[in-house]
Amino acid sequence: MSALLALALQPVLPVAIPLTVGGLMLSVSKRLPRKVPDVVAILVALLCCGLCALLATRSAAAPIVSWFGGWTPRQGQPIGIAFVVTPAGGWFACFVCLLFAATLVFSWGFFEKTAAHFHVLMILFMAGMVGFCLTHDLFNLFVWFELMSVAAFALTGYALRDSALSGALNFTVVNTIGSYLILGGIGLVYSEVGALDFAGLAYGIAGVPHSPVVVASFVLLSSGLLIKGAQVPYQFWLADAHSVAPSPVSVIFSGAMVAIGLYGVAELYWTVFQAAPVVQHLMRSMLLGMGEASAIVGGVMALLQRHFKRLLAFSTVSHCGILLIGIALASRQGLAGTLLYMLGHGLVKGALFMVAGIMLAVLGGIDEIGLRGAGRRIWPAGIAMGFGGLLLAGLPVGVMDTGLERIGTAIHDAHARVALPAVMIGLVCTGAAVLRVTGRVFLGLGPVAGEEERSPTEQEREDANRPLWLMLVPTAALILLSLPIAHDADRLGWVAASQLMQPRTASILGLGLGSGPGSGLDAVPASALVAVPAWSPAPVSWLPWLATALALGLAALGLSWHRLPGTTIRLYERSVGPVVAGLSATQSGLVADYVTWITVGLALFGILSAFG
Amino acid sequence: MTGFLLPLLPLLPWAVAAWLFGVGLYAIVTSRHYVHLIGCLSVVQASTYVLLLAAGYRHGAPAPIFYSRPPTLAVDPVLQALVLTDIVIGATVTALLLALVLQLHKRRGTIDPERVRPMRR
Repeated sequence: MSALLALALQPVLPVAIPLTVGGLMLSVSKRLPRKVPDVVAILVALLCCGLCALLATRSAAAPIVSWFGGWTPRQGQPIGIAFVVTPAGGWFACFVCLLFAATLVFSWGFFEKTAAHFHVLMILFMAGMVGFCLTHDLFNLFVWFELMSVAAFALTGYALRDSALSGALNFTVVNTIGSYLILGGIGLVYSEVGALDFAGLAYGIAGVPHSPVVVASFVLLSSGLLIKGAQVPYQFWLADAHSVAPSPVSVIFSGAMVAIGLYGVAELYWTVFQAAPVVQHLMRSMLLGMGEASAIVGGVMALLQRHFKRLLAFSTVSHCGILLIGIALASRQGLAGTLLYMLGHGLVKGALFMVAGIMLAVLGGIDEIGLRGAGRRIWPAGIAMGFGGLLLAGLPVGVMDTGLERIGTAIHDAHARVALPAVMIGLVCTGAAVLRVTGRVFLGLGPVAGEEERSPTEQEREDANRPLWLMLVPTAALILLSLPIAHDADRLGWVAASQLMQPRTASILGLGLGSGPGSGLDAVPASALVAVPAWSPAPVSWLPWLATALALGLAALGLSWHRLPGTTIRLYERSVGPVVAGLSATQSGLVADYVTWITVGLALFGILSAFG
Repeated sequence: MTGFLLPLLPLLPWAVAAWLFGVGLYAIVTSRHYVHLIGCLSVVQASTYVLLLAAGYRHGAPAPIFYSRPPTLAVDPVLQALVLTDIVIGATVTALLLALVLQLHKRRGTIDPERVRPMRR
């Protein structure tokens, strides 16, 4: 029994199993009976979910370290590649696998015409994400990142429709530039420090904390990851890709792939770069600003959409902005909140994209105006959508709220003036947008606009070859999973954040903490791992209720727009109208514009690190 | 005459990498043909090759081929391995992009990035 347990605790298994199964399944895909790929893929996802949960539980006391091929560090020098499981990485990988399992159930039979290729891509996609969460080597991180990205590119264009192809091209070009930025960052930091293992890098950087090369490397690495994390001004690809990808793929994109870029930023900051003062400054200035801008821009853009998947895509930008705010505050409180909010948001947003998939399959459309009142016969999906909208708006239940409360406390402690209004705008706008669609599609509220024909995309529909209950079960499961007992989730988030922040020079490389340049790192006392501070009611505890109420009000306003007096509408069109039009114009759909915005972001990074 | 430039010589590969990156991005922004654009993406990628090889270069050191006992000095083999992986990844992405462009051409008859947008607004 203990031998079996020791085998199950090999951190390599959750990536080795999907990679092997994916390869095998591809080689025999032509001869497999139709349902076999579905069953195999779901079982693999569940198995990996269980293995990651086991690893994450066992790593609560100390990280689980595994050096490939037995190449352990010699005299404190890392010479091999390691997988290191911390509670944060382990639970995030577990969540990724769970989301894949739910998505594969949701898409049961959806892609059966295509000889298992869809399932192979999904399994490889999952392996890439799990590897990204568990690896402890910078270049290895890049390889997993690329595996995940290439699978994502292929899945986006999978439907081979016009809009899907051009969305996939935008996505691929922008994200590939991000990958090369990461690679450039790796080259720079290696040339300065001469290591690729996170602990080796942290040790080296602590010796040259003021080196401009280290700062440049952080700028490139975090820019690449923030392109994946869809933060202003790198966010444009997201709306194009998420709205044209098949719905099951969008579930993964919004639920896990975008958040994993931000997880990468948090992990690199705490395990590698935290000793560099300029990097600390960049977190508080540039990254915080990007998070605030994303929260606001994503929220406003979400309100303007009538294509429901595109609306959800912009709400992902907004909520990822909130996640980045939590990371950029660089405090344990903020990090713990962010990790929880990542899970809660992923579950809720995944469920909402599943509702979009149900609309595409059963109602044969995704346009809010065109589907007015059409959703009554699938009312359970409407309940899921409405509840999801309330959760996005900050309704104080479940994991999302626990995370948000921690982030709110961190914002309060750090005296970040702009962050709190930015978070509020993001919550209210995204919640209102989803609630407005719920009201129109499922309750038949709002006017008959006469604009039903002007749908923003070509006619869309996804195969309705599955029973409704099969699609509703995973949707409901994801929503219910986001509502566990808040206190347990809070404790878990705190432990995960503490371990992520812990310097690993001693535990990984076997170097004494008392000597060498690494000793100046902010060492976390061991007691901090156990002592979870009491949940002090945040000074902003009534804010979630206010956000929920405002979102409901804004949704009602959106639905009764035609009843407002003409002067009010004209006032709106003269004052806010041009700003909103300018904002929408930036989302041009042209890859050239998006690449230009990347250079603008890089230039801002450069200016702030040189003069800030 | 060029003696005063010699100390700047070690900076040359870094400057070349930055130049390739910038010129590649500029060409992507101004491109009107997706196949051309994919070529420009390879130029951006070439900047990472130069950067990585420059980071691993040791002046006067031989190639990292060891027979029995490692010499005291060699060019860093780790970065050469990274460049190889980089090339493989670049080939994958290029192949995927070209396949997408081919499908786009079949359906739309154009591969001008300005004329294919994912969504009408």
